[in-house]
Amino acid sequence: MRDPRLDPFRAPLAIFLAFVLLQAGSGALLFAAKLGLGAGELAAYYRGSEGLRGPRTLEGLLEVAVPHLAAIPLVLFVTLHLVAFAGTVRRRPFVLLAALSFGSALGGIAAAFGVRFLWPALAWAKIAAFVGLEASLAVWLGLLGLLFLPRGRAARASRDAGPPEAGGGPPAPLPVRGWAGPAAPGRAARPTPAPGYRR
Amino acid sequence: MRFLVSPSPDLQDRVRPPVRWFLVFAALLVAGLAAQRGLAGGLTPSGAEAHYLGADGLEPVPAVALWEELHANAFVYGFLLLTLGSLLAVAPVAARWRGALTWAGCAAALADLGAPFAVVAARGLGLLRVAVFAALAGALLASIAVSWVSLGRPPRRADA
Repeated sequence: MRDPRLDPFRAPLAIFLAFVLLQAGSGALLFAAKLGLGAGELAAYYRGSEGLRGPRTLEGLLEVAVPHLAAIPLVLFVTLHLVAFAGTVRRRPFVLLAALSFGSALGGIAAAFGVRFLWPALAWAKIAAFVGLEASLAVWLGLLGLLFLPRGRAARASRDAGPPEAGGGPPAPLPVRGWAGPAAPGRAARPTPAPGYRR
Repeated sequence: MRFLVSPSPDLQDRVRPPVRWFLVFAALLVAGLAAQRGLAGGLTPSGAEAHYLGADGLEPVPAVALWEELHANAFVYGFLLLTLGSLLAVAPVAARWRGALTWAGCAAALADLGAPFAVVAARGLGLLRVAVFAALAGALLASIAVSWVSLGRPPRRADA
């Protein structure tokens, strides 16, 4: 792991990663099984299809939306918090990817209501939002997974994960973190820096 | 997370009350899950089989419903195991006990998520469902107890 202070937390982080993967995987499976993979199927799921099933009720939509309004932001918040803490990604890609994740989550939830009550073609927006959420979640989990690589490989992979900031050039060196202990010979002691993403 | 990775006596004192309140709720959650399953007949092998296979064993729960159950429970277990595992990681107990509790909880949670599929596929195995839930509840309650007792205590040994 890149930050030695995170070493004791490898097991819980790995377990959390595995369970979020399970959630994301089962979410994708449920999306395909219940809503279908095409815009037509999805619109039919929400608006009903003649002779097969009626349109979804507002109560039915809220029954799905409300738990997801609590769960998805919480999963993203904790995952992003852990990635930011580990400092495996630069600030700008971090902010952009966070916006993509939260935006996709919100768009996906809102699009369900849009398809049902406004316009069936919003089914495409629902599909795009779901794909965006799943893809961004996969990237976050990959970034979290970098913590489990040996330090040298993690640093190389992290450099590849985020483009250099404006001005190009090689990425900044990783911040030195660690327990406040005796300073290395020839090096002044400095306080333990606050955790966060690389700038 | 900062109090876990950069502990100081002052910080530990401040975080102890909210962490202990969290542990109370975690224990209540485990008790609630047990009560919920008990009321649905899920704490006996025959009850678990009846729940997933139907009263006559001929009306199994659809696969989508099984995946929905896994989807919801993975959320709860993931957060619970992350939080309890992180508290255990700094608990002043022997590393082997920390590891055993953390991984036992993870293995039991995964088994609990998979057990309904096994019950439906095998048209039986209700005992498995009951056993893995008992193991999960035991591991979670033990983790909660260890976290409660050890929170903020100084390490007793170099490896602890």
